[in-house]
Amino acid sequence: MVRRVWREDFRIIGYYTGLVTIGVGLLMLVPMMTSLVFREWASALDFAISVALTLLVGYVLALASRTRSTPGLTHAMVIAAGSWLVAMALSGVPYMLSGHMKSFLDACFDTMSGFTTTGMFLLQDLDHIAEGLNMWRHLLTYVGGQGIVVLALTFLIGSTGGAFKIMVGEGKEEKLEPNVRHIAVLIWRISLIYLGVGTVVLGLIAMANGIKPYLAFFHGAYIFMSAWSTGGFAPYSQNMLYYHSSAMDIASMVFFILGSFNFALHYAVWSGNRREILRNVEIVSFTITVLTTFSLVCLALMQRGVYPNAVALFRRGFFQLVSGHTTTGQSNIYARTFVREWGPLGMLATTIAMAIGASAASTGGGFKGLRMGIIVKGIATDIRKLLSPERAVVTGHYHHLRDNVISDGVVKSAAVIVVLYVLIYVVGAVVGMAYGYPMADALFESVSAGSNTGLSCGVTQAGMPTLLKIVYMLEMWMGRLEFLSVFTLFGFIATSVRSVRLRKVAA
Amino acid sequence: MKRLCVVLTVVALAALIVAPVPASAGQPPLLSTTELVENSYKWDGKTVSFKGEVLQDLMVRKDGTWMNLSDDNNTAMGVFVSKDVAMPVIAHVEDYRTVGDVVLITGVFHRVCVQHEGETDIHAVSVTVLTPGSPRENPIHIDRVVWFLVLACLLGLVMWFYYRKPARRIEH
Repeated sequence: MVRRVWREDFRIIGYYTGLVTIGVGLLMLVPMMTSLVFREWASALDFAISVALTLLVGYVLALASRTRSTPGLTHAMVIAAGSWLVAMALSGVPYMLSGHMKSFLDACFDTMSGFTTTGMFLLQDLDHIAEGLNMWRHLLTYVGGQGIVVLALTFLIGSTGGAFKIMVGEGKEEKLEPNVRHIAVLIWRISLIYLGVGTVVLGLIAMANGIKPYLAFFHGAYIFMSAWSTGGFAPYSQNMLYYHSSAMDIASMVFFILGSFNFALHYAVWSGNRREILRNVEIVSFTITVLTTFSLVCLALMQRGVYPNAVALFRRGFFQLVSGHTTTGQSNIYARTFVREWGPLGMLATTIAMAIGASAASTGGGFKGLRMGIIVKGIATDIRKLLSPERAVVTGHYHHLRDNVISDGVVKSAAVIVVLYVLIYVVGAVVGMAYGYPMADALFESVSAGSNTGLSCGVTQAGMPTLLKIVYMLEMWMGRLEFLSVFTLFGFIATSVRSVRLRKVAA
Repeated sequence: MKRLCVVLTVVALAALIVAPVPASAGQPPLLSTTELVENSYKWDGKTVSFKGEVLQDLMVRKDGTWMNLSDDNNTAMGVFVSKDVAMPVIAHVEDYRTVGDVVLITGVFHRVCVQHEGETDIHAVSVTVLTPGSPRENPIHIDRVVWFLVLACLLGLVMWFYYRKPARRIEH
């Protein structure tokens, strides 16, 4: 039986959503400062309006529903899913004011893509946007990678009992430390240290490649934020092609591979447990699936004679494949090259890699290597059971931070999430095909959206059908939050409507 | 008869010389990024013309200079100008406040450039500045200033209430 919804439930949800919104408003100060530094006065004013509006909405929500009650699991899930929608809409305001969007829906598409670290965009004339807006695009993706609730937890919410549940709702379920605020601080500490290192490394490479020194470190920071959060944005429309630099590609690839790893794995390695890298089921799964899908890509590209030598094949083929597999979406080929040159097999291999995706509790999307590992080990255990004598006790294990026993429940949970991902991939592809896109293109783009990758074969454009934009946005949102909190939000809305009806009947 | 043939031949030759020749007949075709990428096999290794606005960074390398030319909304092509090709002075490059110089280049298109590890690019043999760049207007709209002031006042009011009012304790 589903419980009824009371006013206090709305208070809790409203209060915490308000705090997260305030966090987003404060975050907008960074691009505003960037615009001021670059003397982009009109852009700075756009951000000032957006900051004021976002903070106003946040404070009104928090004031109207102020409470000291701590969120339960249902509240936490609704807060996580709802906050992302509020943040998406308000973060779209500076996009809209910039005059580079054709509609507010397009602005929301871009912010959803940013927060979910997808990397698709509908922004017009990207090559002429203000430095402040470029900072905002990359900051969205950087913060989205760590989780906007994690950000709010670190600075605003504090160590309440329900805080960890909200984090779980956002897909960060690894309990690295007993105190939830410590977990949030830890995630940020790891990410900020990498940000410093990444900005310097990529900035120096950019400078050596001929980018103006005062801009080189901005480029470094943008590309790092895009890579580490497995986002895929870049400051120019050519994406990584802009730099014409193998050093830039390789350094970025290192950072997006690191970003695609589980935060718990980073923490284990930082805590001195370096052997975990070799034993962790996600790393094993990632290695196997990268090698398999890259073999398919090589086969496709060699069959078609796309690249003349191994260096070109590796530089383009491997970069694109790993960018897809880690769900980053940075690209050093043109979008239409997938269709025109890579062909169906090359696209299919990349689609499979994107569908599998990165590690659980990372900045990446997709099914996740952990679930792939669990399902494969579960199948292997079942086969071993069938081949063993009836009395024999056969148990399967997988190593993720410690040795874990594979139970039917664990396999079932992993399989359910994988099935849900497949479902959204298929729905997106069917809608794409219904609008007349070829199957390979529609599937590629849908999987790219649902797995939060952002590679495009040319379907995602401002002129694409409105329904397809909405479907891709839903895919990005559900894929990033891994369904549970989104379904809870839908359930909460339905229960609220029913509760209101029941109260009316009772009155 | 013989004389007539000579006259006709001379007239025909004169007509050929004087007749207007299409400008494109001797010029490589002017192509866009979309055309080059969509039909990359067709244009691979061919000499083409390309026109676009110079994006922000002219990247000088050991063997030449890379520039990116934007020719439409969110489409641009990388152009490599080797050291032995005369490079005109590019006075304006694109940024938020500047419209970059529009240049016309002629060069060889590579679907997959062997020299540049598989890049899709054009190796320029000539570069000409067609239109010099200019400052770009980004005016401040007065109505937005008003909006900001209204929102800031409202925000100040709500924040005053928020920090002034003690939290109510509500039993769950």
